[in-house]
Amino acid sequence: MVAKARTRDPLALARELSLAGLLGALGLLLPVGFHALGWGGKIFLPMHLPVLVAGFVVGPGAAASVGLIVPLLSSLLTGMPPMSPPLALLMSAELTVKAAVASVLYRRLRLNFWVALAGALIADWAVLALAAVAAGRFFAIHAPPVRYVAAALALSWPGTALQIIGAPLGVAAIERRVPRLVAARRRGSGEEG
Amino acid sequence: MSPGHVLDLYVKRDSPLHRLDDRAKLVGLAGFLVGALAAPARPPWAALALAAALLGAAAVGRLPPRALVRRLVPLALVIGGPFALSRLGGAATRAAGEVFAVRSFLVAGAFGVLMAVARPADLLEVGGRLPLVGGFAALSEFILRGTQLLAGEVVRTNRAWALRAPRPGLRLRVGALTAASISLLGRAAARSERVGAAMALRGFDGRLPPVPPGPLPLSHLAAGLAFGFATLLLGVLGRWL
Repeated sequence: MVAKARTRDPLALARELSLAGLLGALGLLLPVGFHALGWGGKIFLPMHLPVLVAGFVVGPGAAASVGLIVPLLSSLLTGMPPMSPPLALLMSAELTVKAAVASVLYRRLRLNFWVALAGALIADWAVLALAAVAAGRFFAIHAPPVRYVAAALALSWPGTALQIIGAPLGVAAIERRVPRLVAARRRGSGEEG
Repeated sequence: MSPGHVLDLYVKRDSPLHRLDDRAKLVGLAGFLVGALAAPARPPWAALALAAALLGAAAVGRLPPRALVRRLVPLALVIGGPFALSRLGGAATRAAGEVFAVRSFLVAGAFGVLMAVARPADLLEVGGRLPLVGGFAALSEFILRGTQLLAGEVVRTNRAWALRAPRPGLRLRVGALTAASISLLGRAAARSERVGAAMALRGFDGRLPPVPPGPLPLSHLAAGLAFGFATLLLGVLGRWL
């Protein structure tokens, strides 16, 4: 993002940074809201929703950055997800790829929303399996990756359903409030922010 | 809100550890993390020595034991569950479970102590000056500011819920939380337009204004290096001996 600063309109950059920042902030706050109601984060995946929505409304670089940062920042600010066992790192890898894939498919390649959503979810699961293998080496977790992903999916199906229902509603709410995002996507100009 | 799940883990105290420069704290943490990841579960002396070093740091930071225990309680399930399951397996599984539990508690404890004695914004300021992670630290600072902005809206929404439906059923709660989340997304986007325009008017050029680094006192650096090196050595020696 910073590297592109000299080549892009400062207003577009400022808008993209502020939109990414506020969606990232929601990624920190929504899990707190869910925990306040006593609903487990592993089941409802509240952090995933704003990050996924960020993938649909900002550029790939900003979206990936939000996905990378939010779990780590949440871990430092709230203690959840924990750094150790490395759930924060796993989530960081997952959300980075999920947001980036959603942004590339939806904003850059201008594919259908549902195709982009399916691509983002599949990429998320693939990264979860790879990250589980990598983290397992450091933390002596000897779970087969496919079984790990299957267990995670079985546990978090309400969260996946929430994303499938909530992401289109969230993106529609944002595009209604910020109509220029729709125009920017149609132009394919890359001026998401 | 569950215990240990709040938006700031900082414990306000006047202690040598609180006064230590944040860069020195990060140096100490880096050394400790390497030591913790290198330390074996058996023989246990290295892990015990690292735990003692951590408790020593908490004592120097005058951190109340109750606060530390409260923060580690939610982790007990995350760490204790897999550890308990590993006891049902063979020798290799049991050994892996021990390594997992020891490393997890040491790393989680180290981050717990760090976040109790350092403000997140100050740590991000240090990160912002680093060459590779500077851009991420800037976005993190922005997310922190956004959190403060939106937290007010969340509190107001919670109050409205409490007033309108003191004991809501599950269906009402799911519906209200979904509606509130979608509404917050829309409002955050609308607010980002205003914030972005204000930033551009103030001369934003793609990077947040840099904060010049203050001098790092030699005694602070020495303290961070000493803690980091000693704990790293403990972990590495525990593995080799």
